[in-house]
Amino acid sequence: MTNKPLLSVRNLGVRFPSPDGEVVAVRDLSFDLGRRETLGVIGESGCGKSTLSYAIMDYLSAGARRSGAVLFKGQDLLLKSEREMREIRGNRIAMVYQNPYSALNPSLTIGEQLDEVSRAHRNLGKDEAREASLTTLRELSLGDPEGVARRYPHQISGGIQQRVCIAMALLCRPDIMILDEPTTALDVTTEAVILDIVAGLKERYDMSMIYISHDIGIVNKVSDRVAVMYRGEIVEHGPQERIYERPEHPYTRALINCMPRAGVKKELTALNTIPGYVKRRSADEEGCPFAERCVKRSPGCEDDYGLAELEPGHFAACGRAYADERPWTREAEAAARATGAVPEIAGAEVREATSDENGPEPLLSLRGVGKFYRNQKKTVRALDGVDFELFKDDVLGVVGESGCGKSTAGHVIAGLAAADRGAILFDGGEIAGSWQRRDRRALREVQLIFQNPGRSLNPSFSVQAILERPLKKLLGVKDPAERRRRAVEMLRKVDLGEEYLSRRPRRLSGGEKQRVALARAFLSSPKLLVCDEATSALDVSVQASVLNLLNELQAESGASYLFISHDLNVVNYVSDHVLVMYLGRVCEYGRRDEVVTPPYHPYTEALLSAAPEVDPARRDKPIRLKGSPPDPTRPIRGCPFAGRCHKKIGPICDETPPPRLALSATHHIYCHLPPEGLQGAVRL
Amino acid sequence: MNKLGYALRRNPAAAVGLVALAAWVVLALVGPSVLRFSHTAMDMESQLSAPGLNGHALGTDALGRDILSRIVYGSRSILSVALLTSLFSSVAGVALGFSAGYFGGKIDAAFMRFLDILMAIPPLVLSMVVLGALGDSSVGALTLIVSIAYTPATARVARSALLSCKSLEYVDAARLRGESHAYIMFVEILPNAIGPILVEVTARFAYSIMMIASLGFLGVGLQPPTPDWGMMVIENKTVIREAPWAVLYPSLAIASLVIAVSLISDFLAKALIHDE
Repeated sequence: MTNKPLLSVRNLGVRFPSPDGEVVAVRDLSFDLGRRETLGVIGESGCGKSTLSYAIMDYLSAGARRSGAVLFKGQDLLLKSEREMREIRGNRIAMVYQNPYSALNPSLTIGEQLDEVSRAHRNLGKDEAREASLTTLRELSLGDPEGVARRYPHQISGGIQQRVCIAMALLCRPDIMILDEPTTALDVTTEAVILDIVAGLKERYDMSMIYISHDIGIVNKVSDRVAVMYRGEIVEHGPQERIYERPEHPYTRALINCMPRAGVKKELTALNTIPGYVKRRSADEEGCPFAERCVKRSPGCEDDYGLAELEPGHFAACGRAYADERPWTREAEAAARATGAVPEIAGAEVREATSDENGPEPLLSLRGVGKFYRNQKKTVRALDGVDFELFKDDVLGVVGESGCGKSTAGHVIAGLAAADRGAILFDGGEIAGSWQRRDRRALREVQLIFQNPGRSLNPSFSVQAILERPLKKLLGVKDPAERRRRAVEMLRKVDLGEEYLSRRPRRLSGGEKQRVALARAFLSSPKLLVCDEATSALDVSVQASVLNLLNELQAESGASYLFISHDLNVVNYVSDHVLVMYLGRVCEYGRRDEVVTPPYHPYTEALLSAAPEVDPARRDKPIRLKGSPPDPTRPIRGCPFAGRCHKKIGPICDETPPPRLALSATHHIYCHLPPEGLQGAVRL
Repeated sequence: MNKLGYALRRNPAAAVGLVALAAWVVLALVGPSVLRFSHTAMDMESQLSAPGLNGHALGTDALGRDILSRIVYGSRSILSVALLTSLFSSVAGVALGFSAGYFGGKIDAAFMRFLDILMAIPPLVLSMVVLGALGDSSVGALTLIVSIAYTPATARVARSALLSCKSLEYVDAARLRGESHAYIMFVEILPNAIGPILVEVTARFAYSIMMIASLGFLGVGLQPPTPDWGMMVIENKTVIREAPWAVLYPSLAIASLVIAVSLISDFLAKALIHDE
């Protein structure tokens, strides 16, 4: 190979001491990173992705022990002293973290922080340093670098903060840049912009990158090669397209298949899940790390194990699982996919689409609902005249960027906050605004599932206490034996056993906690379940199983869901109807298939275009939104999206509120454009 | 319990504190019944006798009273007053701080400003002035006034402990279940906010010991014949050259008790707050 590896990791191991013996975080890990190459690293949380990057940078905590070798330009970084490492960190290998806000110093202006990098690492003078900072910011397509340099971190948006962090890493002209989930804390539209930038960096700056993410869709956008990590080991690595199209290791396959993606809908299939969870690995454990959870497990898994090159450049730790499908051809795979599902999910349960033909009955109607938060002299218009309907036995997905009012809408409906304007009609009558004024029946019939199950279950209570309290309080079940019986029955429904009753939340995994939260909500047989980002905090495999469970529970109970999520793929999977919101207003509402296909609102089009697509073959011409949503305290006369719209007509958009444009009986859009102008792909 | 044993083995200082406190408690409970001398009996034969002489293990004071007996009797009053003050100030502090933090807004502002005013007066000065004006230094009066003086600090700790839990979603979940404010505050939030509050209780216990000793030293503490460690120090100040033990041993008693309780408090802070 002409491309001599820049970084070569050989048999790297990282161990941490723990009260129950040594824990292996990274084990026998080897890979090469060539010049101008981007390696994507994927895996669930707890698989050692971040530990790998910290091991390379020597940022591990004091007790950790490293073994093996990390050869950077032929020198072993593991043998370097702290002083020598300081020369390499930042200068030669730079790192960008997940949360840009905590990576920036809040008491220095952006300019000062950026200049400091060049002055410390490159010994530049004051003016030269500033010039370098501004140039780098400009190269990252920031419109007003001088303005950004003058501001403090809290005065700029998350997307710009992350670009500043990337600029900071670039200022030293490093050979390698490690990005650890740099877009996870950002909105999809911002994420898309950052990914576009990152994808162009390695050519422009002649450097290599390691991009760590839990999301294979994101990794596909930026990587040349992908490594899949599981419990501290690389179980498969190879060219990006091959990993997606022809995963050899059962874990890779399971991971890809459990992600909701375009074309996968609940009527067609349940999501693939991985049984069990990611366990810690003790020092003496041998064999395939995935064996316990593997659907293709066979007696040879303990010893016949180790990375092997199955085709040029494509290594997998398991060659047996899918050996019968070789030789693989693109045509066969395409044919398999065209039937609606990849082989794994083919046998899954098929759910009937909700039939809407004989006129659906609305369960919930919002009529001009407004919610304003006043602080000092400003008013944030979190909801500004929102109308929509949620039908019985139906799932309404609500999408939009953060700050669009989707969570506020959920909270207002659930009763955590009272609306300031408008009316909420529920099940035939108007429902009281806030929880204080709702009666038991209303509290029982509307339930809320929170994003973070760790925070929605009281850590001081056992699962039994958590489940029995609503039985006593909301349903008035007096007999303790009866309460216990119903709690156990409900636990079974969410696939947990009686033994969970005595456990405290801290002994449950994230997925188990969310199941308990679901059990608590369903105990009172709600008619409406508001899911506020209910699966966003979960790992993909856990998300898949919770989504499947939500579907099952809905089919069984006939409850309606208001499913709030920032993830369009997830919303697309679970919803019957979709509501798109922007800045406290409705942009588009309709049946799911009507919303995700043209004609659509320009904002919907931009959101769809920004969503990370799992399948690399499905990438099309992207639409990127500039800037961030406008200041919500400023009153808007016209269309809220006008400032960022790629299809803006002219002054009418700024001055006149967009009319409600009915595209069909079940689908409407708020836009000034005629329906012909709302076709996607066709740029006006 | 196993976990406690493990934690104590890793923190020998806390174990020392616990042993010292336990020793004082045992001494206070059973000491008076096994001692040779009464704490009020004046041994006219041996005034200012050195430790060990005439059967007085820690010597006697100017009136010929046995120092050991007085210290052991004194431990009863100081331990009980300190325990009651730390409990009362914590209960009052939690009630005030929780209501202020939970209801927020105007209630919070009113409560906290009131506590600020109280806090602006140093607790020692406040207690001294009130006790002096009352002219009554009974156990009840002393407990009450020291508790009031310490309530603002406890209330602040309780309020911030509540605020760190108040925005968590399990509180919202309880609201959507129609729970009462009292249930949410004391059943849902209190168990999760108990760490800092327990640390505050033990810290207040140590402060109370010092406060009571100081008040005794200043002459407004417990009145004779109840022996008081602080008072013993000031009584014997004039004979410090002839009989340093009469001052030294009560001072050591105060120090050992305060240090023991502080070590326990530090341990709790580490175990309950920082290790979460």
